[in-house]
Amino acid sequence: MTLPAKISPKERDSALLVAVAAGDRRALEELYLGYHRRLARFLSRFTPRYENIEEIINDTFMVVWQNANDFRHASQVSTWIIGIAYRTALKSFRRQKNHNGERSLEDYPVPTVDPTFDAEVHDWLKHGLNQLPVEQRLTLELAYHMGHSLEEIAVITECPVGTVKARMYHAREKLRQYLPALSGASPDLPSRTE
Amino acid sequence: MSHQRGSDHSLEHDEVSSLIPWYVNDTVDVHERQRVDIHVATCAVCREDLAVQNRIFEGMEAQPALDYMPVASLKRLQARLDVSQARSAAPQAPPEPVRRETWRGGRMAASVGALAIAIGVLAAGRWVQFEARVKEPSYRTVTKATLRPPGEVIRAVFSPTITLEELQHLLDEAQLKIVSGPTEAGVYSLASNSSVAVHSSLQQLRRHSAVRFAEETVPEPESGNLP
Repeated sequence: MTLPAKISPKERDSALLVAVAAGDRRALEELYLGYHRRLARFLSRFTPRYENIEEIINDTFMVVWQNANDFRHASQVSTWIIGIAYRTALKSFRRQKNHNGERSLEDYPVPTVDPTFDAEVHDWLKHGLNQLPVEQRLTLELAYHMGHSLEEIAVITECPVGTVKARMYHAREKLRQYLPALSGASPDLPSRTE
Repeated sequence: MSHQRGSDHSLEHDEVSSLIPWYVNDTVDVHERQRVDIHVATCAVCREDLAVQNRIFEGMEAQPALDYMPVASLKRLQARLDVSQARSAAPQAPPEPVRRETWRGGRMAASVGALAIAIGVLAAGRWVQFEARVKEPSYRTVTKATLRPPGEVIRAVFSPTITLEELQHLLDEAQLKIVSGPTEAGVYSLASNSSVAVHSSLQQLRRHSAVRFAEETVPEPESGNLP
């Protein structure tokens, strides 16, 4: 399919999804490549292994391929796709948890350090985020990294707005306990790995 | 009166506090933004919380140092779609609603499926015998040309219980891809995905318990060699 040169990302996504619903594999591929990085980054918050991330992304796009006809364009395409990824990820996480139990904090990837951002704060943030239940961690990721609004997160996670607010509230409270460095205190930092 | 003012302030404090994350990620509307600005100017607790949330926001903005391989991942998705489409196009594939049918219907579907598989295996076996007999064909009819999928190097029949994921994993390991099939007999035509020797891929397939039959196909003679 050929899309007009001047088209907004939302319109582009909608047009691609209409083509996917009509069975256009090229449109699916274009949508896939457009979302891969965003989804990979989002999913890296709860699994450090790229093969798991890839599996969840591919499962997500199998669902997109099979159900594109059911999308009624009442919400944004991005909200719909990220919602599928979220639910696929949670299922995968629960399955893994049943098999392996909770994973170690050290299993998580270390984000690239922004030179303007204090390395100690990064340590605390990493440890603090890893202490949160997966739903709270992903709510933070959806809000703070992906920039979704309260209402969009409610759609993505298929939860009432009140539940999203509560998750965000508890995430902030817990992070506050783990991140004294963020509030300007001088905490005893965990020993840094050399 | 002062108690009333105190509870009003507390209510305002709680409501503004819950807006802070959305203020930080810039998804609040203009009125909510103004409300937060006004409250934060007089509330030290919310001001401090806002500073903390801004730092968390900055920290989460940083991209993780992961190597993403979208094209390689996409190829694997394409292969899954190929398998899925081939399966749904296959005439003997049981239709989806069968799973929701009654126990009796399920049993019947299972019997029909087993029969189809048995026919498939039998047909595949016949095909092997036929291949052995005509390894060096002395003639070839031009009215009934063999319609062989391009690139086909192996034909295989898989266990009906194999899942899509297992099949995909198996094909990845053997560095093969599906170019056609399944036929009515359940035979898939496979092409090589890489420069790996066909016999290596074949051995890889044959080691797997879900592979009922796998055989290298006889090279297609050049059209100029036809008698």
